[in-house]
Amino acid sequence: MAIRTGATRTGTGATEISHGARKVGRYALLIFLAFLVLFPIYATLMQALKSGPDAIDHPKSLLPINFTLDTLRSAWRIGDLGRLMLNSVLVAVVVTVGVIITSLLAAYAFAFLTFPGKGVIFVLFLATLLVPAELTVVVNQRTIDSLGWINSYQGLIVPLLATTFGTFLIRQVFLTVPKELREAAALDGVGHFRFLGEIAMPLCRPTLGALALFTFLGTWNQYLWPQAIITDDAHRTIQIGLERLKTGDIDKFNLVTAGLVIAALPIFVVLVAFQRQLVRGLTAGAVKG
Amino acid sequence: MKRLALVSVAALLAACGSGDSIITAGREPTVVTRPPPVTLAPGETLPVGETLPPADTTIAPTTTAALLDTLPDCPTDALAGATGTVELTFWHGMQGPNGAELQRQTDAYNAAQSKVRVTLIEGSYEQTIDKYLQAGQGSRPDLVQMPEYMVQTMVDSQSVVPVEACINAGDFDTGEFLPTGLGAYATQGVQWSMPFNISNPVLFYNKRMFAEAGLDPEKPPASLDELRAASQAIVESGAARYGLALDSGFDSGGGWYIEQWFAKAGEFYADNQNGRTARATQVLYNNEVGRSLLGFMQTMINDGLAVNVGDNSTSGFDNLLKLVDGAEPAAMTIATSASIGPVISILGGGQFPQITNADVGVGVMPGPDGKPGALVGGASLWVVDSGDDVRTAAAWDFITYLTSAQQQSEWSAATGYVPVRTDALTLDPLQTTLATDPRFKVPYDQLLSSPDAPTSVGPIVGPLREVRTVTAQGVAAIFGGADVASTLAAAVEQSNALIADYNSRNG
Amino acid sequence: MKRKWRDFPMAVGMLAPSAVILGVFVVYPLVRAIQLGHLRCDATGKRCREGGWGQYLDVFRSNEFQHALANTTRLALMTVPIGLALGIGLAVLADKQIRGIGFFRTVFSSTIATSVAVASLVWFVLLQPEVGVLPDLFHGIIPSLKQPGLLRDPGTALPAVALSSIWASLGFTFIVMTAALQGIPRELYESAFVDGAGGWMRFTNVTLPMLGPTILFTLVVLTTRAFQAYGEVALLTGGGPDPERPTQSVAYLIYGQNSLVKNDIGLKSTAAVLLFFVLLVLAFVQFRGLDKRVHYGN
Repeated sequence: MAIRTGATRTGTGATEISHGARKVGRYALLIFLAFLVLFPIYATLMQALKSGPDAIDHPKSLLPINFTLDTLRSAWRIGDLGRLMLNSVLVAVVVTVGVIITSLLAAYAFAFLTFPGKGVIFVLFLATLLVPAELTVVVNQRTIDSLGWINSYQGLIVPLLATTFGTFLIRQVFLTVPKELREAAALDGVGHFRFLGEIAMPLCRPTLGALALFTFLGTWNQYLWPQAIITDDAHRTIQIGLERLKTGDIDKFNLVTAGLVIAALPIFVVLVAFQRQLVRGLTAGAVKG
Repeated sequence: MKRLALVSVAALLAACGSGDSIITAGREPTVVTRPPPVTLAPGETLPVGETLPPADTTIAPTTTAALLDTLPDCPTDALAGATGTVELTFWHGMQGPNGAELQRQTDAYNAAQSKVRVTLIEGSYEQTIDKYLQAGQGSRPDLVQMPEYMVQTMVDSQSVVPVEACINAGDFDTGEFLPTGLGAYATQGVQWSMPFNISNPVLFYNKRMFAEAGLDPEKPPASLDELRAASQAIVESGAARYGLALDSGFDSGGGWYIEQWFAKAGEFYADNQNGRTARATQVLYNNEVGRSLLGFMQTMINDGLAVNVGDNSTSGFDNLLKLVDGAEPAAMTIATSASIGPVISILGGGQFPQITNADVGVGVMPGPDGKPGALVGGASLWVVDSGDDVRTAAAWDFITYLTSAQQQSEWSAATGYVPVRTDALTLDPLQTTLATDPRFKVPYDQLLSSPDAPTSVGPIVGPLREVRTVTAQGVAAIFGGADVASTLAAAVEQSNALIADYNSRNG
Repeated sequence: MKRKWRDFPMAVGMLAPSAVILGVFVVYPLVRAIQLGHLRCDATGKRCREGGWGQYLDVFRSNEFQHALANTTRLALMTVPIGLALGIGLAVLADKQIRGIGFFRTVFSSTIATSVAVASLVWFVLLQPEVGVLPDLFHGIIPSLKQPGLLRDPGTALPAVALSSIWASLGFTFIVMTAALQGIPRELYESAFVDGAGGWMRFTNVTLPMLGPTILFTLVVLTTRAFQAYGEVALLTGGGPDPERPTQSVAYLIYGQNSLVKNDIGLKSTAAVLLFFVLLVLAFVQFRGLDKRVHYGN
């Protein structure tokens, strides 16, 4: 998180006492709100740390009655969560790398190359942002089927390999590069790809980081699309796989909670680690759009 | 000015509802309306001087042989001539422990011979259906398991080899198979698919609560009147908060059970003998039987004897959970027999104070007047037409394995499904299971107690899945207190519109 | 002239990967769906007949579509204002350099780690009437938590879905708002302070106007999300409870397990294209109507 440093204000009018009371009040409010926001996750975690019967008999107990990792273990085993996570990671990583490559190339063309119809083509590119997945799934399902890609990684990956969002973001950065720089490089015999790799790309590294994280999360969280084309265990992703724990046995109702904990944890860690990139990615649209 | 524009847009939107259902969208199809075929009841004779109108040539049972001849062949001997191993894919809907058992049996099949290798692709029934219907010929599996409500759509998909062709070609003996099991998947005189996992609804009840209420724990209610009396005793004695937990799910209390209750009452659920003699054109449940049945349930809820757990759509076992509810439990519920195994194994540990393994009783589904019988639920195995004789023959070979007496004995013992053939009962492990725990035999006995009548074969309706959905909405409204007659009338009207629309697109 | 075409081959090469993928998986499906939307088809989608272009109007005016659209609008009216208000409120509250604020910021942004599937399942389990935590804790105060259960009560099912969805987007809204707050020049607050503006005045006169573009962006994102609601409906209610089906969203009407149109690719396309147009109109109206009132600081 891009935490601001310094710039603390010292209240001039407030007395010591009301200042202190305000501070306590603010902390109390913050703690209360933090509790509310965290409660669903906390309760889920506690359920996951109980045995199945304990979770059914004492749902409201907010500490594990007889602490056990059995539920987590059996969720991992029964839900085949290792497999699901691996699939999700594989798909998300390949899509992320792919999106970065396709976006870099397209952004470069729009920013540095001269060709007829550039403006129109760019607008057409942007227009695809408006088309929601809820519309394209109907036909894409059939396309994937006719390609023989139902129940395959290609089916999960290929349709997501290009986004106009990424092209747009990177192009914005490229546009800040002075034209003369490219022209000078061209005179020195530097080709487009070398210019892209050695000069243009390093300039947009922060943007690429944000785009990567954003794409990774977006792909990881896909729900409708994998559900539309995946039925087999081998290719199921974590998002659509979790649901199957719900239809499991009655006494293992809290298997779902265990699955949730396992599924959310890595992403949570990633987010805490990459908060800066995330903020940049999420705000890019707001600030630059 | 701007505000005015906004207001007028809002007014326009508010006024734009047409009052029609989405399925009526698009131009009216040009439908050739056929008069319903006239058939004679057994023993009935024509009045002198009258003749039957000519039966519809494509679908009347009298033209069976002709219909089968127009369908793809099943040269079962083609497998012998195959070179190398035939790789098959099988899409199925068995999840959890049932899926694991199917995998085990398939592994055993693959290990025992080298001609055929079957790969399983698992999904829920709904997912399997969606994927199958969307698949082009090249991406269909060789075998697919489809729930019983899909028969007409599978026939209409023109993508299958009827198993009757295989039975005939291979001189396969179906003598040991339950006739009702086979009959469920036969229409227009053709055996389309092979029954594999048969289930039907049964009553789950808490024996301890029965004893506390002064009821005989070994004698569960068999009729609706007894069901009410037992509920009354349970509630009044304080043995449980509710007698019965009801649900309005489309594949349980809101849809499937209605079909079951109609069969028990000896009534057709859909016209043309449940769609067996010709394509069904309407559902019939808004009659005296349907009204009194749902009126009965509504009164049970109004009187506090039954509790409605809702449409059961998100977990699938909300009604069973009501039996272990710590605060406000129910003593009985109706659920698919496929739950017997899981429920008993779960309660086996005795972790629940309200109900243990020994407390769980299983009885027949209480029906109108206590009449016996049940319809075949569950799913069947379909041979997909790949156009390749060897694959067709290989698929049939795997079906004969899965439906063999020994495999059915193991399958039934592991899952609780009713075996599709009688000789499976005399083989272990099923024989021992039934001997040690008679609860597993209830659905089998219930199925076999069905009277030999055309009403004992369930409805085949093109959009049966959707019909159940709108029926379930009606049932939910009735459970919530809506007027029974008008609600059923509306549900029937919607169902009939669905059927007409389906028939116009798929006929 | 020659100069204009000089880069052409290189441009084609660089644009091709994106263009092919967007063409095949975005543009083609759009065109094809519009075309399919005037057909009525059999279950396998192989045999279709003309439904006429009036099919779009028929579907739009049908009971089911109008019902789903009304439900979806209600969902948006619950999630968008509350979600925005909570996001702004939390961000303003946490926009102070006090000890431990990093912890609170991490907590408030944490729900971004939950996908639609995870968030929905978290709430599904929490609200489960027989074995859920919340009914067990609070059924004394709110009996409907237990019987019939928030998600099974026609009156509370949609608010419960909205609750899950607000919670799930809170992290996103919080992060975006926090970043925008940090972009507000401190001098603006200080001069307002010197002018004697109180806390609330500073909020309405400085903070809100400066957040304008971010609020507009978040508004559009949250509205679009609400109108695309599918996963939360599928996992929390299945579009139920019957018979009112107050949580049946437009996307669930098209793709849900109880969908009446899913075995007709024609009708399914009609409804999907209509959903697309609804989203287009909404985004257009929001940008048009609000853009003028938003202050873009340079």
